[in-house]
Amino acid sequence: MKAILFVFPFVLAVAYFPISQCQNLPLIEQTCKQTPYYGLCVTSLKSDPRSKTAGDVQAIALIMVDIIKAKAGGSLQHIEKLKQKYPALRVPLSACKDRFNAIIIGDVPQAVEALTKGDPKFAVDAANDAALEADSCERGFSGKSPITQMNKLNHDISIITASIVKTML
Amino acid sequence: MADSNVSYNPLPDGERPRPTRRRSIVLVLSGLLVVGFLVALLSDNGSIAPTNVIDNDNNNVNDNAQNGLNDVSSSSKDPERLRPFTSASSAGVSEKSNRRFGARTASYPWTNNMLSWQRTAFHFQPQKNWMNDPNGPVFYKGWYHLFYQYNPNGAIWGDIVWGHAVSKDLIHWYHLPLAMVADQWYDIMGVWTGSATILPDGKLMMLYTGSTNESVQVQNLAYPADPSDPLLIKWVKYPGNPVLVPPPGIGAKDFRDPTTAWLTSEGKWRIAIGSRINRTGITFVYDTKDFINYELLRGVLHGVPNTGMWECVDFYPVSTTGEHGLDTSHNGPGVKHVVKASMDDDRHDYYAIGTYHEKNVTWVPDNPEIDVGIGIRYDYGLFYASKTFYDQNKKRRVLWGWIGESDSEIADVKKGWASLQGIPRTVALDTKTGSNLLQWPVEEVDSLRLTSKEFKKIELKPGSVMPLDVGSATQLDIVAEFELDKAALEKTAESNVEFSCSSSEGSAERGALGPFGLLVLADDSLSEQTPVYFYIAKGKDGSLKTYFCTDQSRSSEANDVNKSKYGSFVPVLEGEKFSMRVLVDHSIVEGFAQGGRTTITSRVYPTKAIYGAARVFLFNNATGASVTSSLKAWQMNSAFIRPYPDDDDERHSGTEPTYEVRGSKTKYLGNLLTSSLLFLNARNNFL
Repeated sequence: MKAILFVFPFVLAVAYFPISQCQNLPLIEQTCKQTPYYGLCVTSLKSDPRSKTAGDVQAIALIMVDIIKAKAGGSLQHIEKLKQKYPALRVPLSACKDRFNAIIIGDVPQAVEALTKGDPKFAVDAANDAALEADSCERGFSGKSPITQMNKLNHDISIITASIVKTML
Repeated sequence: MADSNVSYNPLPDGERPRPTRRRSIVLVLSGLLVVGFLVALLSDNGSIAPTNVIDNDNNNVNDNAQNGLNDVSSSSKDPERLRPFTSASSAGVSEKSNRRFGARTASYPWTNNMLSWQRTAFHFQPQKNWMNDPNGPVFYKGWYHLFYQYNPNGAIWGDIVWGHAVSKDLIHWYHLPLAMVADQWYDIMGVWTGSATILPDGKLMMLYTGSTNESVQVQNLAYPADPSDPLLIKWVKYPGNPVLVPPPGIGAKDFRDPTTAWLTSEGKWRIAIGSRINRTGITFVYDTKDFINYELLRGVLHGVPNTGMWECVDFYPVSTTGEHGLDTSHNGPGVKHVVKASMDDDRHDYYAIGTYHEKNVTWVPDNPEIDVGIGIRYDYGLFYASKTFYDQNKKRRVLWGWIGESDSEIADVKKGWASLQGIPRTVALDTKTGSNLLQWPVEEVDSLRLTSKEFKKIELKPGSVMPLDVGSATQLDIVAEFELDKAALEKTAESNVEFSCSSSEGSAERGALGPFGLLVLADDSLSEQTPVYFYIAKGKDGSLKTYFCTDQSRSSEANDVNKSKYGSFVPVLEGEKFSMRVLVDHSIVEGFAQGGRTTITSRVYPTKAIYGAARVFLFNNATGASVTSSLKAWQMNSAFIRPYPDDDDERHSGTEPTYEVRGSKTKYLGNLLTSSLLFLNARNNFL
């Protein structure tokens, strides 16, 4: 009897304090449900350790903006390599470089500002534009793009981000 | 006024210049030379002959098939209902979303030539970088002041501070130093939108929102450092700021944009601040005696469910008996009150007309079906964060609106700037309908008019396009009237389909009684064109319903610009002709229908229909009616918006600068033309 009384508080403690990792699953899933690319949204966020401790939608959105930035940066590097490999595609690849550059120096800073300083609609604009830039890059190849998957990924994570921020409005 | 950029020696009083006969001849010859030069420059037009029917299938650039790539917009599939009802949730788009992409064109590279052309000649914009909301507009000691949200560091939103400019006439602006920067803990994250109040003793109070070091939205007081300085260059922030913080239960980021204050019959000042409770947009009301201590009044002035956060609330009286403006504090018989708010969710400005009850601090809309956020918009294109002020100088109420870009960021970064202010408009109650406002460009816009061309009673058969020889077509003021054959109006079969500008096929969608109107910023081959037009639909009961639309689907061959169609229903009363006024100023087109009952602002970014290649056409793409049109088109001068001269003496005197603009800073044909025309005009005056 005494043993049970002794153990009981610990049982209560375990029951009432969920493991911290589980606590944020609902937030990620709940947030991603409001985007058109649920799977990509969840895997993108989960691949970032910060998502484990993100406490609200704003924090999630900032992680997504960071992912846009990282992917755009990686895309720029890839484009540089492709310019060597496909000299015939130099013109559209240069246009793409400008587009991803605009994402990094324009859209990403605007999104971060808007989210941190408290006027999120400008982050929706910025994320939507990032999707547009990726899409425009793709169109520059008139169907013969060597980076279709990459552009689609950039586009989709941008749309995810815009959708997430829209829920904050 | 110092409109002329030609210097002249002031004459002794009473004398008028009397040029000699020889001098007249020399002047005429030099004028002819200039004209000849210009004709030579522009003479690559070739012949312009009336062209054929507009194809229905030559464009697929704007459609619902988005090539598998979506964007975040609740695409406006909801038809625009009978004005005035529109659904706030039907749009949900922001300026860079709602893309409809061109399937056929490759990604279009923006050249410096194309981008430079986009800068406007007579709309307010800073010399570079980003701008958004107009702030604190006011007339003070002989000058109109405009402050605005500005980013001194780039062409994106961020690091927001208050820009400042002054003008004697709402058209010719002089840039001044930044009025307020983010240098206090209570506005370090942003010096955001606010409004000016002039007290009866002439004191000027500025209330504005600051985003604090913890991104909390608070209201702050500022006032001129030197009230005797007509240019109001330096500002002081009240040391005890903030004067207002979010009330209990209200989100830290849901409390911004204080209005101009109005006097109550108890002698207190009253202000409104927008906010929200869950999805209901609301506006709080506070009373104050000193702009420092405030009493939050119980309840809210008004709220509308499902409209989201209300930004940039505006509240003002309108006369029911005349077109003059009313001081913001005015109340009494013959007055209705307008509540306006900018919907954060769908990026549109809505207003509603109703009755203000001062005692119990409420406002009741005349028609709850077209309440704030669900009813009438100031403008059916790009127009946001607008704000009015009472111009005690000319006894009118003037409306400013932020016009963002609808191109892509890459272009903004390249061109180094983003956003315009719309042309300032007077706003008054439409006493003929009683249920909407009328907006019209301020009369000073007319002072920009140079030469004009008039066209009388041009008949446009169904499916016709007629070029208009107006000369240069990038800076225009066009006033046009249209009449349809009465018989055609009567015999047209009824339509059961509800028309909507945004979900239609634009000017390519042929109905019995429309579309007809103007094609602006078009090139000779019409590969680029921006139709501004009427479309008359016949309802089930046989009544005619007129829509006013702007179609961007073919405005540019570039595929990274907005290609949607804008517009709405416009009331046309018995006996009225269909009338529109269109201002074209490079990358902005503003249309005003039926004296300003419905307005549409668009940003257009042609790649070919620029500089000397831009044209204007009349068109009638209806199938069942001929249209007769009369119109007048003026070349518009530049407003030569520039910095106020650095000369301390001139600045202290607060008089309008009189220095001449030497040479031409710009190298583009459009400005060359207008400068030359101004020169000729000034010389003509001299004679």
